[in-house]
Amino acid sequence: MADLQDRLRAYAAHRLPAADEVVVQDLDRIFGGASRETYRFVLSYQQDGVERRRRLILRRDPTGSLIDTQRAVEFAAYRAFHGTDVPVPEPLWLEEDPRWLDQPFFVMAELSGFESSPQVIVAPPFAARAEDLARQKWSILGRIAAADPVALGLDRVMEFVEATQCWQRELEYWERRIDEDEREPQPIVRAAIRWLRRTPPPPPRRVTTVHGDYRTGNFLCDAAGTIHGILDWEMAHLGDPLEDLAWSLSPIWRWARDERAGGLAPRAAAIALWEAASGLVCEAAALRWWEVFSAVKGQAIWISGAREFDEGSNHDPILAVSSWLMGNAQDRAALLALGHLA
Amino acid sequence: MARLLEVVTGHLASRTAAALTGYEQATVTMLSLLLFVVGEESPRAVARRVEENGALRGLFAQALPAVRDGALRDRLETLAAGTDDDLAVAALDATNAALRAALIDLHAHVEESEGAAARAVEAAIWSELRASTERRHVSIAPF
Repeated sequence: MADLQDRLRAYAAHRLPAADEVVVQDLDRIFGGASRETYRFVLSYQQDGVERRRRLILRRDPTGSLIDTQRAVEFAAYRAFHGTDVPVPEPLWLEEDPRWLDQPFFVMAELSGFESSPQVIVAPPFAARAEDLARQKWSILGRIAAADPVALGLDRVMEFVEATQCWQRELEYWERRIDEDEREPQPIVRAAIRWLRRTPPPPPRRVTTVHGDYRTGNFLCDAAGTIHGILDWEMAHLGDPLEDLAWSLSPIWRWARDERAGGLAPRAAAIALWEAASGLVCEAAALRWWEVFSAVKGQAIWISGAREFDEGSNHDPILAVSSWLMGNAQDRAALLALGHLA
Repeated sequence: MARLLEVVTGHLASRTAAALTGYEQATVTMLSLLLFVVGEESPRAVARRVEENGALRGLFAQALPAVRDGALRDRLETLAAGTDDDLAVAALDATNAALRAALIDLHAHVEESEGAAARAVEAAIWSELRASTERRHVSIAPF
């Protein structure tokens, strides 16, 4: 850790050529970054005779992760939404040259003192504010869908997709991941993939920014029921906004162990909030397609994580636990979405 | 074995994790969860595999009249006649993988087939897939 702290200090000094006495302190790894190593640290320096001090976050690519992603896309998403009505931390530096910290990384402001753990958020005292959190969670998601990705500049970093091709591109990508990484046959997910191909959804009214992993656990909130930041944009892309809504409604995020989506709100209420904020209509058959797709994508993520753990490219226990814990839940979610689970 | 895992899991979760902070505390908590799941799985590991392999063989035997593809029918017939002589988990898993790979092909085949026999096989497959998730159920999973 001391070595990483020294190297991070050298990088910060490089990025702040007018600063003196650049110091990095209290570097501490944060648990849960399955797709990136995440650290918090305090950066202090002197500039223009003023002492400055900031609490920051370092997100560094690991050698293996649950999700192969492009850090430039994630960084661009933070940059695009920072300062808008979609709350995100302020992004500071993106670095893809591995000479600094061996792997590409980016640095952003820390939103400190808030909670993201889904198990904590569905328990007291946060649970008393579930309705407030739900209202913000799905309203923010609706605002992401309402935002114009071209006006935000995201079309310059995210691959263009025709509205008619959204479903096919996503399905092909995640099916390929399963083909490459599965260690044992997956009869439920294969049946789901065949169903998805037989039953394509209608194209979205407009192509939007898709967060890609929008769920309880990927936002920071306080116990008074306010969401302060949407995190983990590593799977962000252009696509059908129903993809995010379906993912957020998946039963595998029922952390309160009841019927509420994300442990926060009834499904119908969540959909209504999203429709009101997005100005879009959630068509039931299209949503169902994306819910079955969510089960396929989720299983692909657990399968890839299990492979990375087994092969030793990443021995973070979260990979083993999430694959084991969520893999079966994901199969049950697929059965439910396909209408084969009571 | 189950008692041993229970004790170790409890120790890690309540004592070791409590003595740590931050990333290390969360990692130890995660390891205790992993051991909990291992503790849940280990007593049923052989039984659920034997049960599932037997269920799949039975399903294949029943499905044969509905299978029009000769090569697939021969493969299913051979698999249906198999037995689990080696009760090592790795051996049962290898057999299970062969059976579930054939199940995928059978499922795709009957989906494309017409007639009541194909629909009956399809219904039996969905029933078996539901049962397969129940055999693997992890009690601490959110769903």
